[in-house]
Amino acid sequence: MTEKDPPPPTPGIAEDRPDPWQVCMTLTTPVSGSDVLHRNNVTLSGNPTGRPIVFVHGFGCSQEMWHAVTPHFEADHRVVLIDLVGAGGSDVTAYDPVKYDSLHGYADDILEIMAALDLRDAVYVGHSVAATIGVLAETTDASRFGALVLVAPSPRYIDDDEYRGGFERADIEGLLDALDANYFGWSQTMAPLIMGNAERPDLGRQLTDSFCTVDPEIARHFARVTFLSDNRRDLSAVRTRTLVLQCSDDVIAPATVGRYVHEQISTSRLVQLAATGHCPNLSAPDELTQAITEFIR
Amino acid sequence: MTIADEASVDREPDEPEEEGHDALQDADAFEELFEDAPCGYLETTPDGVITRVNRTFERWTGHAREALLGTNFIDLLNPSGQLFYETRFATVLSLAGEVREVALSVRCDDLRELPILVNAIKVREADGRPGGIRTVVFDATERQDYERQLLLARRDAEASETRVRVLQDASSAFGVATTARELADALVASASTALRASSAAVLLADGTGPLELIAGDVTALELFDAGLGALAEQAIGSGDIVTVADLDQAAAILPGLDDALHGRRLTALSIAPLRTDGRVSGVVVSLFARDRVFDTESRELQAALARQAGQVLGRVRLQEELAHHAMHDQLTGLANRKLLEERLDGAIAAAARSRRPVSVVFVDLDGFKAINDSLGHRVGDDVLIEVASRLRSVARAGDSVARYGGDEFVVVCEDAAPEAAANIAERFRQAVRRPLDSVPPRYSIAASIGVAVWDPTNGAEASTDLLLRIADEAMYGSKGAGRDRVTMTTIDDATNAAHTRLDQDQRPETRWEH
Repeated sequence: MTEKDPPPPTPGIAEDRPDPWQVCMTLTTPVSGSDVLHRNNVTLSGNPTGRPIVFVHGFGCSQEMWHAVTPHFEADHRVVLIDLVGAGGSDVTAYDPVKYDSLHGYADDILEIMAALDLRDAVYVGHSVAATIGVLAETTDASRFGALVLVAPSPRYIDDDEYRGGFERADIEGLLDALDANYFGWSQTMAPLIMGNAERPDLGRQLTDSFCTVDPEIARHFARVTFLSDNRRDLSAVRTRTLVLQCSDDVIAPATVGRYVHEQISTSRLVQLAATGHCPNLSAPDELTQAITEFIR
Repeated sequence: MTIADEASVDREPDEPEEEGHDALQDADAFEELFEDAPCGYLETTPDGVITRVNRTFERWTGHAREALLGTNFIDLLNPSGQLFYETRFATVLSLAGEVREVALSVRCDDLRELPILVNAIKVREADGRPGGIRTVVFDATERQDYERQLLLARRDAEASETRVRVLQDASSAFGVATTARELADALVASASTALRASSAAVLLADGTGPLELIAGDVTALELFDAGLGALAEQAIGSGDIVTVADLDQAAAILPGLDDALHGRRLTALSIAPLRTDGRVSGVVVSLFARDRVFDTESRELQAALARQAGQVLGRVRLQEELAHHAMHDQLTGLANRKLLEERLDGAIAAAARSRRPVSVVFVDLDGFKAINDSLGHRVGDDVLIEVASRLRSVARAGDSVARYGGDEFVVVCEDAAPEAAANIAERFRQAVRRPLDSVPPRYSIAASIGVAVWDPTNGAEASTDLLLRIADEAMYGSKGAGRDRVTMTTIDDATNAAHTRLDQDQRPETRWEH
């Protein structure tokens, strides 16, 4: 991104169609006072007395990917945005390759954040791998969950006998190649963030031109953990009301997988979105918002 | 300047349109420039459906224009490329409005994969609505081949460097281990690092005994009955590494093992046998929180670690054996004088800290010399072994029983006040008196016993030498008083003088010396 001319930050909720620059800057209020909140760059906005709603991004991005969705929830909800460790403005020094060698490591972080903020009856919205992370958090301790929204979930990406995840193991190895082949792109986007992050993370985030910054080394490991994990067994233990959102023509999480997730979670509802691709939070934020709102109304 | 401004400059709007023939020629030239540009060119809807494509892209991919139009760009990519496109490319493009030099691979009509470099830009309509995506594609076959070779070479180099480092680190950590426990700790650390395991554990068997957890995660023990024990036996029996790659495999090997693993957030494990002096003496268990593929490389690394550890274990066991020899009486297996003195040093220090009494019981055999002289040293040795075993069996669990000299034994009893010490000494006396298995009935032995009790609360100072000397003197007191009895002494004044008193309970065998 070489040319950009962000309008001056304006407080409050963005009107009809929020501009990405504007939203990123006005809503981001880094929370201090707690290691957990710092570690995951937890940012709060919206109505402090409203029902909490937590948005968690998937592999390859950061909390920025919710920019067009979250403003719609700010009037009625306490909106909680987080960066998984290794992504966005998270504390990359907190990355422990053993802890984060399974999605449970990330799920434990979610539970810690919910406890640190003392969230109750929370709506958890997880995109892609963060949907599975939410399932693991809920099945570990459901006490703070009021609703689960799984956006384009897949408990296992690799085909296995009858189960069609959509990919072969070799495809995942190929993704790691692709990550390596695009390594420079990643590290370039990282550079300003790292520089900015050291002393003033808030400044670093605003000054950088980059989006969805991800530490390349961590991204390689996270890719393995995301795409080589098998969490099918964990689905049936979910007890919280759950919304499974299935996109159209999603090669990452095909329709059969969405149906599988719905069948495994007895408390779930399956809703098919018209949105195409894997990221309705970017391609169809309004439709996604409507689906979530209807479910938690 | 905004993206929309930058991207929508197809033609300057305020430039006057040229007339007639020239304009047509220009249009042809522009069309040719578009169609046969030295790069592929595509336009798609915001969702990625191809709406325009140039001839170069058709030619490179072999896909006909009719097939390309209406197809989603992502469907042209190989599966890995699709993963990257959806999780990274599309996200950044959507947020930043642009991506540059992204390496992907397109599936051609003949199923060949064409490596490409892609620049893409998000276009906005004049009213600010998303207008679509313009994508330029470069053939990156040569560059990607070259980069791929570099990448593979780099990965190979990194892998072998990691391997060498792991083994070197392990080698130096193992090298400084002086006990099996220290070695096991080092092996747990190496195995965890080398395999990126959630945790690891080392289980060793002493001789033919059962496997015992020496170091690492107790989860290994918890899983023992659920199937890990059987798999460990299999590894030991076959001498090969045994692995469980995922929960389905675990269930197939042993029903229930999958649930036991899943309940502990584990999905995979591997067990490598530890071979010492040609014999398998234990296993190193690695536990994983995520499915694993145990390829040749990781198996070799495990095997190499286990081999190194096994060799060191042989050396450490030998050292431990030598250390044991140096500290123990070879005949009876009891602690020798050196170890006894060390333990008494420790007991006195502990007593001083805890303000609890410590007692030293000195046992000298009566009648042993006669057996040794008339029946020979071999029988004498048998008697000593028998006496040692009796003393050990009647001593309390924590007491240190030592062979002090030829037919002298010393027992250190921590936390033993005079009453308790007198009881223990009396048990020793009776144990020694019982008829011996190793000699004819007409031979019998007895014990002259002296006890020195030090109670730190009395204000007296004590030392190993002092306690041993006082207990020895008390033992001579018993001998002088007619043998087969116990003499109690206490060290209870600031001058360290020993006070021996007559036994209060008037037992003929036990007396307190004045």
